[in-house]
Amino acid sequence: MSNTLLFVIVIGATLMLVIGGAVTIAITLYRANRLIVSEVVLPHLEKVMGARLPSQPVELINRKEEMRFTFEGNEYSAFKGDTIASALAASGIKIFSRSFKYHRPRGLLCCSGHCPNCLVQIGDEPNVRACRQRVAPDMIVKPQNVTPTLMWDLLAPIMRFLSPFMPVGFYYKTLYRPKWIWKVAEPLLRAAGGLGKASHSESPEDTFDKQYLHGDVVVIGGGPTGISAALSAAGSDAKVLLIDENDQLGGYLRIKAEAKDVVDELCASVYAHPNIQTLTETTVTGCYDHNWLAATHGDRLYKIRADKVVLATGVVERPLVFDNNDLPGVMLGSAAQYLLHLYAVRPGRRAVVVTANDDGWDVAADLHAAGIEVVALADERERAACSSAKMESLEAELPVFWRHIVTSAHGNTAVNAATIAPLESDGSLTTRRTRLECDLLLVSIGWTPNTGLAYQAGVEFGYDEDRAELMARNMPDDFIIAGRAAGTHMLEHQITEGALAGRRMASAAGYGDAPTTSEWTFVQEEKKREVTRSSQRTIVKGSSKRFLCYCEDVTDKDLTTAVAEGYDSIELLKRYSTISMGPCQGKMCSMNAVHLCAHANTSTVDETGSTTTRPPMTPISLGALAGQNMEPVRITPIHDWHLGQGAKMMVAGLWLRPEHYGNPTEEVRAVRERVGVIDVSTLGKYKLTGPHVPNILEKVYTNRWRQLAVGRVRYGVMCNAEGIVIDDGVTARFDEREWYMTTTSGGAGAIYEWIQWWMQSGWGDGVQLINRSDDFAAFNLAGPKARTLLKELTDIQLDNKEFPYMHVRSGVVAEVPCRLLRIGFTGELSYEIHCPASYGQHLWEQLLQAGEQFGIMPFGVEAQRVLRLEKGHLIIGQDTDALSNPIAANLEWAVKLEKDDFLGQRSLLRVVENGLKQRLIGFKVNETGPTPEEGLQIVSINSNSKQRKIIGWVSSCRFSPTLNQVIGLCWLPTEIADVDGAEFIIWREERALTAHVHHGAFYDSNGAQLRS
Amino acid sequence: MSRMWQVHELRDRYDAVIIGGGAHGLCCAYYLASEHGINNVAVLEKRYIGSGGSGRNTAIVRSNYLTPAGVRFYDASLKLYERMAVELDINVMLSQRGHITLAHNDISLRTMRRRAEVNRLQGVESRLILPDEIKQLCPVLDVSDRPRYPIIGALYHPPGGIIRHDAVVWGYAHQADAHGVHIHQMTEVTGIEVSGAKVTGVKTNRGQIKTETVLNATAGWCSTISAMAGLRLPVITSPLQAAVTEPLKPFLDVVVVSGSLHVYVSQSDRGELVMGASVDPFPSYSSRGSLDFAESLASHIIELMPGLQRVRLMRQWAGIVDMTPDYSPIMGFTPVEGFFVDVGWGTYGFKASPIAGKMLAECIATKRTPDLITPFSLSRFNEFDLMGEAGAASVGH
Repeated sequence: MSNTLLFVIVIGATLMLVIGGAVTIAITLYRANRLIVSEVVLPHLEKVMGARLPSQPVELINRKEEMRFTFEGNEYSAFKGDTIASALAASGIKIFSRSFKYHRPRGLLCCSGHCPNCLVQIGDEPNVRACRQRVAPDMIVKPQNVTPTLMWDLLAPIMRFLSPFMPVGFYYKTLYRPKWIWKVAEPLLRAAGGLGKASHSESPEDTFDKQYLHGDVVVIGGGPTGISAALSAAGSDAKVLLIDENDQLGGYLRIKAEAKDVVDELCASVYAHPNIQTLTETTVTGCYDHNWLAATHGDRLYKIRADKVVLATGVVERPLVFDNNDLPGVMLGSAAQYLLHLYAVRPGRRAVVVTANDDGWDVAADLHAAGIEVVALADERERAACSSAKMESLEAELPVFWRHIVTSAHGNTAVNAATIAPLESDGSLTTRRTRLECDLLLVSIGWTPNTGLAYQAGVEFGYDEDRAELMARNMPDDFIIAGRAAGTHMLEHQITEGALAGRRMASAAGYGDAPTTSEWTFVQEEKKREVTRSSQRTIVKGSSKRFLCYCEDVTDKDLTTAVAEGYDSIELLKRYSTISMGPCQGKMCSMNAVHLCAHANTSTVDETGSTTTRPPMTPISLGALAGQNMEPVRITPIHDWHLGQGAKMMVAGLWLRPEHYGNPTEEVRAVRERVGVIDVSTLGKYKLTGPHVPNILEKVYTNRWRQLAVGRVRYGVMCNAEGIVIDDGVTARFDEREWYMTTTSGGAGAIYEWIQWWMQSGWGDGVQLINRSDDFAAFNLAGPKARTLLKELTDIQLDNKEFPYMHVRSGVVAEVPCRLLRIGFTGELSYEIHCPASYGQHLWEQLLQAGEQFGIMPFGVEAQRVLRLEKGHLIIGQDTDALSNPIAANLEWAVKLEKDDFLGQRSLLRVVENGLKQRLIGFKVNETGPTPEEGLQIVSINSNSKQRKIIGWVSSCRFSPTLNQVIGLCWLPTEIADVDGAEFIIWREERALTAHVHHGAFYDSNGAQLRS
Repeated sequence: MSRMWQVHELRDRYDAVIIGGGAHGLCCAYYLASEHGINNVAVLEKRYIGSGGSGRNTAIVRSNYLTPAGVRFYDASLKLYERMAVELDINVMLSQRGHITLAHNDISLRTMRRRAEVNRLQGVESRLILPDEIKQLCPVLDVSDRPRYPIIGALYHPPGGIIRHDAVVWGYAHQADAHGVHIHQMTEVTGIEVSGAKVTGVKTNRGQIKTETVLNATAGWCSTISAMAGLRLPVITSPLQAAVTEPLKPFLDVVVVSGSLHVYVSQSDRGELVMGASVDPFPSYSSRGSLDFAESLASHIIELMPGLQRVRLMRQWAGIVDMTPDYSPIMGFTPVEGFFVDVGWGTYGFKASPIAGKMLAECIATKRTPDLITPFSLSRFNEFDLMGEAGAASVGH
């Protein structure tokens, strides 16, 4: 079939959507005509009459508390304790969702939170499992992925029409030739994709939190095995966490009225035990490295460090693949039992039960006892293989079909009949068929152990062909599987195995004695003698669609075709067909898919393997994972003062810093003409002590430090091993043994780690490195009046002779002990004053008060950028990038290549040997006009072709109020950069802007101001 | 039903052996066979094709890199992606829905402008946009002052987008196979035979192969494979993780990247949000997902898009990536004659697979390095002529 034809079909389908809605409904009505009584009238009757049974012994609902909620705009009632699914089922609702691809109607299937069939939207929350979500009063529940309603979904007939043209891999095979088709088709496909709707809210609406928990033995699953394991581990004195996803313990026993007393007793022992902490309604979603467990409880994420784990997560009932096996009304046996016992809901009126184990007999017995007509119990087995205690009594009361299997479900939007067929002695289908009218088709043919967490813990599984179940092949020392998840189906074996597993893990955690090998082996041997619970059969061939994957609408035919096309390993099969990639993550389909893949390749289940089980086991909300926002904010000691002065704050790494206080140009003028002060408390500030401090400085800085005299300050550049500039700053020497290093604000954290890393890697030399960044406030007082001002606040000798440029002094300023570094990033006479952080605001205010007479102004980061640019100083990370070495960055004077080993030396020797290609250099823009933005490219324009070639870029550029012109720093090829005055072109908004190279500082190039 | 690729016996001898059945290796095989007439080629894959980085990445394609050489190279790749479906006869579902890289501070805004300028001068559509326009392109983003790191601008790259990554692998496999290439899955290389600084053969778990030409097109194991040929690579290997949410109705049209928050997210046509972050903070060969990753990813996504609190994460996984010191790959000749590399792809390998494969095929067939990949040669580490993509590539998905 050609692409063009297909495209026409897609377009046609869309047109149908847009203009043919009414026609489509008519067609649907016509098709549904024959069934309208059974599928529309009867359910309506059900809605009116209700499907709620009289009180059941173990029901979870409280009939005294009734509430209302809406589903698809209609109001329904629920009892307290009802899930959305049970309440709707009690009102006779059969269709809960439309399938992902074909928009087929889907009803309750598993009722245990695994399958995608009951996903609904609740308010702003998409993809909620209706079978696990309890009804809250006035809840607004909507179906998902329906156009426009569940019952009348316009896409359903369209997809039914298109589906024969959409084999597996359809999207890969079509809609790409000619190229424009995809551009048209993709938006249509995209619109059809997805399930629920995400909220567009602009602020986080709910508060999620996290809690850390610890346990010597963490038991996952609170069924009989888990309870037994918890009690025995706790009996050994281990601290036990018992976790279950339901609101009460008991596991599968919860649905058994006859076990109610036993369960109550067990629960009482658990709750009474001081060593057991029980977490109900808590779902373990992942087992990460070293038993690091994630679990959710409502909006809380538990992060659990488990010393040992007992996995007692039980089983998931396995669907059978047969014609129309996805029709609403086709349900897993256990699902019907949940509805019946826990919520007193009648899952149907006339049931066919299809089974291959004794569990199906329990299902039939439960239905029968509840007054539901069982029109057939079809057992795949010989009568002799059945060991159900209920066999004889049921045989007397129900039509039992031995050696029969279901071949098809019938109905349009819900089951109205089922066909069963007898089997030949070799297990193949005979040609005889029996059609049975029914509205409920229950399948109970086998179990898949719920072992995803075990896979994540490193357990490997092998397929036991006789039992048709996965069994663990190995077990890590700190993790054990027990109970139904380990293939133990009989209650007494579960209790024994659970107890032994609990003791074993407790002992491994250091509490009590481990069971003896013979004890353990005995129960393992015993359980091997149990009757098989799972059928070998996974697929019953027929003539209609048979679904393996309910999430993605993948049929057995799709998979067989895919294997034949070469996607013959289970992983390729998954990626091509998308089986197991939907919301259930393979819980419903994995085993069946592996079987099919093995069969198609004529290989075994073991050889086929399985896809990797990834966390989370149960989807987990982003809100729960995120918890509360713990992003730290760093503020300086005078943050509030800045805010009070109306400073415009900017984000600088983790810091908030004043960008300016209203007029950065005036701030620049104040510094140049009078005096200004800037809060530089954000700088990294480290104390280094020890006789060998110069050794580490010599290694991490590119210049020399050994000869630095006491009382002096020196500028230094740091490189990484590749010779790339990573930080700069000044370091002062207070005395023989104590040094004080400052780093850039951005590098404050990272450089501390960087130096620590090298010190701990062998360069420590007894040096103590202490990060004192938070301990000190620091202010840079700059401007011609800086000295005069400071003299009013301190007795420290400030005259140029006593305290020259690049020196450090300690003393008292405004009654505060301070350290003064005379340095000059701004290019003016300036003192960087460091004082204990707690005195920061006092000193800051004193400086401003004393400076009032001199016209002092506080200045922010923006003014500082202009000031340093006028002086030609670079900013690491702005004027340098991941390729900038200090030699090219005009810092050659601070690189002493000939000294002993230092970080970056080897690379920088190469740089010198190879010669520089580019250099950082100052420039002035020739014309007046807009200031080129930082990041603009410098180009050479070929005079003939007009082609522009990138040769450099602008890293800093500002209008200088001092020089009254635009100045900047840029990277240029050395041949241009080396020529003072050389012209070049900055490309700005499709226009050439001419600039020229400027050597040296733009302001005070001889440093007179600085040293004044 | 015809198979997309055949199953073959391992031959004793191949003209070229490509180690690694991902998009890179299969693409190179395809070009060797289709453009250079070298058909006696084996692609050896330890597991199934596309099982490594090709099937684990977040399927983003773009060409808005920082260095002129990088932009030129990745743009050539994007061009090949644009015509790939027709050329390989498979719908790779290229969806050029636009790519925005958010800036949360002045430093990144400056880098964005630099990238935009470099891109535009090289003919790549790319520009700086402000919060109003960001909001139009992506209504779920919170562009207010509320977040810890407010969004102040973004680099907008309209041709960037997403693609079906597995289809790329299958397409190359199919066409390589059609041109006679042998694709050997479940075939693990256990040794490389070198004699007199020349490659002479490859040892596998299925037997020996004689060959004079070997291409190392692996990711995660590129240094261990190279070590088999006696070659050390300047590579550090770390996990790179990703995750998807349950499917949602379409609401996120563009690919959104935040370097400052270390996160990138797009919505697939199926409706899942496909999300990733920067490489794990320590070297490892583990391909297991971690809880820390899921937590920080979720926290950053919600910081950007607060409405997604109740959206559920469905699956997380990890791949293994080889990082070079200059965040750029290593392609071409090595000191071992006949041993070629297409490695060190860090977090950007998938985007480059078509052009890398094509160039490596040319390199192997013509025995000279094509201009486009000269800047990426192994010798640059000796000559200290490094690439400068760290700023654009480190979290730049």
